[in-house]
Amino acid sequence: MSALAPAYAELAVTTNFSFLRGASSPEEFVVAATLYGHHAIGIADRNSLAGVVRAYDALDHPELAELKRPKLLVGARLVFKDETPDILAYPTDRESYGRLCRLISAGKLRAEKGDCTITFDDLAEWQDGMLLALVPPQRIGESVKKTLARLTDIAAGRAYLAVAMPHHGDDKRRVKKLRELARTARVPLLAINDVLYHVPERRELADVVACIREHVMLDGAGRLLEANAERHLKPPEEMARLLREIPEAVAETVRFADRIQFSLDQLKYNYPDEPVPKEKTPQQHLEDMTWEGAAGRYPNGIPVKVRETLLKELALIAKLDYAPYFLTVRDIVGFANARKILCQGRGSAANSAVCFALGITNVDPTAINLLFERFISQERKEPPDIDVDFEHERREEVIQDVYKRYGHDRAALTATVISYRPKSAIREVGKVFGLTEDVTAALAGSVWGSGGPDLEEKEVRQGDFDPGNATIARAVRFANELLGFPRHLSQHVGGFVLTRDRLDTIVPIGPAAMEDRYFIEWDKDDIDRLGIMKVDVLALGMLTCVRKAFELIAEHEGKRWDLATVPREDPVVYDMLCRADAIGVFQVESRAQMNMLPRLKPREFYDLVIEVAIVRPGPIQGDMVHPYLRRRSGAETIHFPSPSPEHGPADELIQVLGKTMGVPLFQEQAMRLAIVAAKFTPEEANGLRRSMATFRNAGTIHKFGEKMIGNMVARGYDREFATRCFHQIEGFGTYGFPESHAASFAHLVYISSWIKCHHPAAFACALLNSQPMGFYAPAEIVRDAREHGVEVRAPDVNFSLWDNTLERPDDGALALRLGLRQIGGFRETWTKELVEKRDRVFKTMDELLRRTSLTKPALMLLAEADAFRSLNLDRREALWAVRRLSDEATLPLFAAFAANEQPEETIAPLPPMPLSEHVLADYQSLRLSLKAYPTEFLRELFTREGIMSCAETGTARDAAYARCAGIVLVRQMPGAKGVVFVTLSDETGICNIVVWPKIFERFRREAMGARLLLVEGRIQRSVEGVVHLVAERMIDRTHELNRLSEDGLATDRAENQLHRHPRQVRVLPKSRDFH
Amino acid sequence: MGFSASPRRILALWLPRLPTDRLQRAQHAGAPDERPVVVVAKIDNALRLTAVDRKAAQMNLRVGMPLADARAMIPTLKVVEADEEADRKLIERIADWCDRYTPLVALDPPHGLLLDVTGVAQLFGGERALLDSAHAAIAKQGFAVKAAIAGNAAAARALAHYAEGMIAEPSAEAEAIAMLPIAALQLDAEALHGLKRAGLKTIGAVASRTRAELTKRFGAKMVALIDCALGLAEKPISPRRALPDCMAEHRFAEPVVTEAVIAESLLSLAKTLAAVLEKRGEGMRALAASFYRADGVVRRIIIETGKPLRDPVVIQKLFRERLDSLTDPLDPGFGFDLIRLEVSRAERYDAQAGRLEESDAGKREIAYLIDRLAARFGPQRVLSFCPLDSHIPEAAGAAIPAQYTKPTKASWQKLSAANEAPRRPLRMFAQPEPIDVMAEVPDGPPLRFRWRRVAHQVARAEGPERIAMEWWRHQEPKPTRDYYRVEDDEGRRFWLYRDGLYERETDRPRWYVHGVFA
Repeated sequence: MSALAPAYAELAVTTNFSFLRGASSPEEFVVAATLYGHHAIGIADRNSLAGVVRAYDALDHPELAELKRPKLLVGARLVFKDETPDILAYPTDRESYGRLCRLISAGKLRAEKGDCTITFDDLAEWQDGMLLALVPPQRIGESVKKTLARLTDIAAGRAYLAVAMPHHGDDKRRVKKLRELARTARVPLLAINDVLYHVPERRELADVVACIREHVMLDGAGRLLEANAERHLKPPEEMARLLREIPEAVAETVRFADRIQFSLDQLKYNYPDEPVPKEKTPQQHLEDMTWEGAAGRYPNGIPVKVRETLLKELALIAKLDYAPYFLTVRDIVGFANARKILCQGRGSAANSAVCFALGITNVDPTAINLLFERFISQERKEPPDIDVDFEHERREEVIQDVYKRYGHDRAALTATVISYRPKSAIREVGKVFGLTEDVTAALAGSVWGSGGPDLEEKEVRQGDFDPGNATIARAVRFANELLGFPRHLSQHVGGFVLTRDRLDTIVPIGPAAMEDRYFIEWDKDDIDRLGIMKVDVLALGMLTCVRKAFELIAEHEGKRWDLATVPREDPVVYDMLCRADAIGVFQVESRAQMNMLPRLKPREFYDLVIEVAIVRPGPIQGDMVHPYLRRRSGAETIHFPSPSPEHGPADELIQVLGKTMGVPLFQEQAMRLAIVAAKFTPEEANGLRRSMATFRNAGTIHKFGEKMIGNMVARGYDREFATRCFHQIEGFGTYGFPESHAASFAHLVYISSWIKCHHPAAFACALLNSQPMGFYAPAEIVRDAREHGVEVRAPDVNFSLWDNTLERPDDGALALRLGLRQIGGFRETWTKELVEKRDRVFKTMDELLRRTSLTKPALMLLAEADAFRSLNLDRREALWAVRRLSDEATLPLFAAFAANEQPEETIAPLPPMPLSEHVLADYQSLRLSLKAYPTEFLRELFTREGIMSCAETGTARDAAYARCAGIVLVRQMPGAKGVVFVTLSDETGICNIVVWPKIFERFRREAMGARLLLVEGRIQRSVEGVVHLVAERMIDRTHELNRLSEDGLATDRAENQLHRHPRQVRVLPKSRDFH
Repeated sequence: MGFSASPRRILALWLPRLPTDRLQRAQHAGAPDERPVVVVAKIDNALRLTAVDRKAAQMNLRVGMPLADARAMIPTLKVVEADEEADRKLIERIADWCDRYTPLVALDPPHGLLLDVTGVAQLFGGERALLDSAHAAIAKQGFAVKAAIAGNAAAARALAHYAEGMIAEPSAEAEAIAMLPIAALQLDAEALHGLKRAGLKTIGAVASRTRAELTKRFGAKMVALIDCALGLAEKPISPRRALPDCMAEHRFAEPVVTEAVIAESLLSLAKTLAAVLEKRGEGMRALAASFYRADGVVRRIIIETGKPLRDPVVIQKLFRERLDSLTDPLDPGFGFDLIRLEVSRAERYDAQAGRLEESDAGKREIAYLIDRLAARFGPQRVLSFCPLDSHIPEAAGAAIPAQYTKPTKASWQKLSAANEAPRRPLRMFAQPEPIDVMAEVPDGPPLRFRWRRVAHQVARAEGPERIAMEWWRHQEPKPTRDYYRVEDDEGRRFWLYRDGLYERETDRPRWYVHGVFA
């Protein structure tokens, strides 16, 4: 660029955070503006500041490092609900920025979800200190003149009239008109290009998103779309050329930019100071609380090492002035403790001894080597992030308390930017191109899972579409282009931002879909970037389960336990885990984990930490699992990879990999490898960590990969090892699992195992009462409990409460009584009615009808669940009796008496209900049956056919030919390699099936469609005794289930039952499929 | 035509695979598609199968299954979106054809028909022959079909669905359907479920319970339905068309093809009808002729008259004119085996004729004028302009045959304010004409140009109006146009454009004149 080049700043930039309007990201605009040499760039999304932090962050883009970067102006394009034309609003200082935030917040608060309702009067109220540029609409009419007059009235000296050259044919005429208007109003003209995208090539995508927005197809969009591709960012020379007749308007953009003193750097975050007593500083208070807490944690004296760690941490906290933040989190945890809500910190916070002392986390610093630097580091200018899990059923109490304490002005959730994923992108883009829903559904469906970063040709083919088809190819292309575009903002699951001053002067806040929830416009990465701290108030089902189990144990066995007092390192508990007896146990109950347990053979707490971390994409993709297992079992000697002697000491990795036998398993080990072995600078390591953590930087990770592998090889490391290390880092990108986090989770693994081991009835009962959670359906939990000797009793109108309960029979061991919550569709209020009136046992149906005011639907559900057995009525009799009642919904007490008072009816007895039919009906109502397992009724048939039971396959010898049939419980396709795992179940247990891709393709119909599946294949038995059946052939035997019900004859013949009652559709609960 | 008091007989026909059969029939000859076919529709926000063909059924695909599950089982599935309208039209056509057996044909949605064949069986050689004939004829058209005859609709339907081919002897319905599953009755899902849970799984088992017991639990309607099926109560079918006032028909042993025979037949039928009408002192206002082709095609032609009429010769003439004017003429194919003439509206013969309808008179006049002009000059030559929603000038409006003009959502675009010159030329060329132009790069207006060998010096120009092409319509990108309104030194005004953006799209943009202003 020559020295004489005109200076220009684009002030009307609409990014893709103006959802479905802008067609380029804030980052793309900033990079393009830098390359063009713009003096400044103003991000002005529609009534929103959602994209400005991305733009701010992009200024640090490594590729721009050498260039002069434009000044970033933070503003918004105000779009009004009255007749007012759009106005670009740019705050000049911190105060007016706060006012802009409040203006937008006010508009959001009174609008429907996601919208913003503002009028000119709102602007008049908040405009002080803002530069305001009116953007005239296509047709310049009275409203422009009027608004301009009002604008000069309220904001004298700060009003502008924007002028663009849209190439509409009458541009010059327009310029003349605007010039005249500006002269009359005595406001400067301000050149803009009102851009929607950074390069003209994006016009097509802009058209596509416009169609998505307007719900039209391209073919019918017509003049809803722009006539040309001119709304792209243009170089200053081009702007000067286009507006050569009014050079003053171009020059004005620079003066405009120079008047603005505000930058996002000025957002000083301030922490609430409530928890601090007046006479103390936050740091003093934190230190006092820490030492007090530590004394409680170590009744026999704080170990020297811990004391040292605490001192070190407290010093750093003091230096960075983070004390109020720790106190705020401590305060929230304190509230939960007072309410007896179980909670536990997770994630990197578990690296902090201070957090342990404060009771926020439960990882004992003496048990695990803490890496406080992982949590807070002086170099990494990112704030600490404390995530705390609370009982999932009671998290709402914590959230409401936070709101109560800080008010909606000072507490709000962070946002989650919902972006286009392959499925949503192809669905919406397909519609625009006129593809039918079936085609887009198939295209979307051919993408296994929802995660994949790209729609690839392979997947298009898999969906049986010709990628050569022009329309489909185009739709796929644009869907790919749309990937990662923000679609809307949603609330984060639990990330709270808390402030001392008004939060809505820092960032706009809007209402969430849930009543009484508010969230800011920025997501986690944004607030990290600005150094704003948040507390994650998360929900964890297992905590609910553990608390309920503790309560049951206290009630029925008189022993009180809590997370800290459960006896540690109980060998019986580890014995149980080594047997892979882990149904219901936190984290290690999945099939992959259960396969790992007998191999890993955990014997101490740290083994559980590894167990939790090892079955993860990181170690699996890095192919670290088997080397670790071999070394653990002694089959391979432990040695540490080392560089060539001239590059460094041979033991440089012992520090990093010592605890894991020379194999990197945790996220931070992989990171340390980058620094120690690949000699990454802290800055590079930080870049690697960031590119790993966020989707938006997905493209940059490969550069780091080349560098890391290259460096390691150059320093004498084995290339294969280096490559694996990098693959592992990539794997962590999707689900990072640092050691501290694994340790937090391992703690819950141990606690839940301990309860399951020593109190199986209470454990099963608590698990059922905490549903939905975990991996297994109630049927599996109940079956497991029974296998562990727990008597399980059916739900009954005379004995059940809402929750499942424990009963102590005269002969000793606790029995589990199923609660009415297990009955599909039954309501808690009905239970309340029933239990309240049950001061003495109901002897007959009539008595029950007289004493309660339960309505017919409630009674029908009870009868369907076979819950009248204590009245000597089986399901069939009870249903026939209840069906006779009037349909009236709710009746006042006396009317209920009358209506339920039925004359005696003498009827012929109904045919008795066969057991097999009872079992099916149990499944339909309760999703489990205590009477029998459906396959029991087919056992004789199967035995005649030489089909093994699941239990028999478990004892079959390796490589034996086996045939096994069972109900399909779970289907999983865990990796991209196409191996499918199927879990079959029968009355004797479960059988794990492995289906290789070739076999799967051949028997796809059976594998995916059957509910009762016969598998023929070879037994594969590992040294540790893990048994699989490797499928060679599969046969769909679902129709055998018809034998269980007398109307089997009917289901085969009638096909036209489209509008069947949902209860009839599935005999057994659908299998759970994970793609 | 009267009916005797003989016991009612109902023929139920069920086409279980109508939607997929329809698709298969529509498939063009050539390489047949071997893939299983399913029809899907959105139900409760998920695509579900609403019909499966035989092959799909054999592969265990069932109606009601989510499409995602079906695809997971059989990725190569051929999936077609449900078209209930087409299915309904098709079943209506089959119903039309069934008119040959009886005028009392009722639809039994979604894919069934009920024919009241009381007293007509002997015309076809008995009930078995009637059933076989209907079955064979429909099956020959490529439909899966199931049929049964019983004394009431519910029983016939139940038999067709669960015991096809069965003929229940008069007053033996109860026995015939006793062993059928209760799903054979059209009970609501709740009642069906209740009966199954009670162990009452066949119609016979339900029938054996007391009516009071059933009524209390399932309501009177359900009991009435069962009683109907058992033949204990009567509920007539509701035919699609009202029974004609009077009708006459000719059945031909040998299908007729020649026009003369058809005309003669119409005349003689008209005479028969005229005699009936005369007796009643009435004349016809609307008359329908139905031509039943041996291969199942039915053609219905309706004429209406302004005043009551019964002269057979006039009637025949009216039909002849109508037949001559048909855009797709009556095609006898291999011949008609039945011609029927029905009076669908009759009036007192001496009644005051002709009430002129006055509303929308203007529109009707224009439409009438269009019809007449189109009839004389051909529809392609009577055009009207219609606005289209597009930035592309030549696509922003279209002249289409006036007879087919429908109001569009688009309106004519107002491009300029009242006191400004028009933005679009008065006359736009169908084909822009290339010109040689001197203009400033990159996007300056033309200075001089030569069109049709005449040089023009530009005196004034305005623009550019930049219009990009609709990229999604073309495989290769088309150049963007920069339009200018120019006036030459003699005051002539043109509409020119540069085809392609200089440097961005092309190095040497070509120029065109696209129209002239007044």
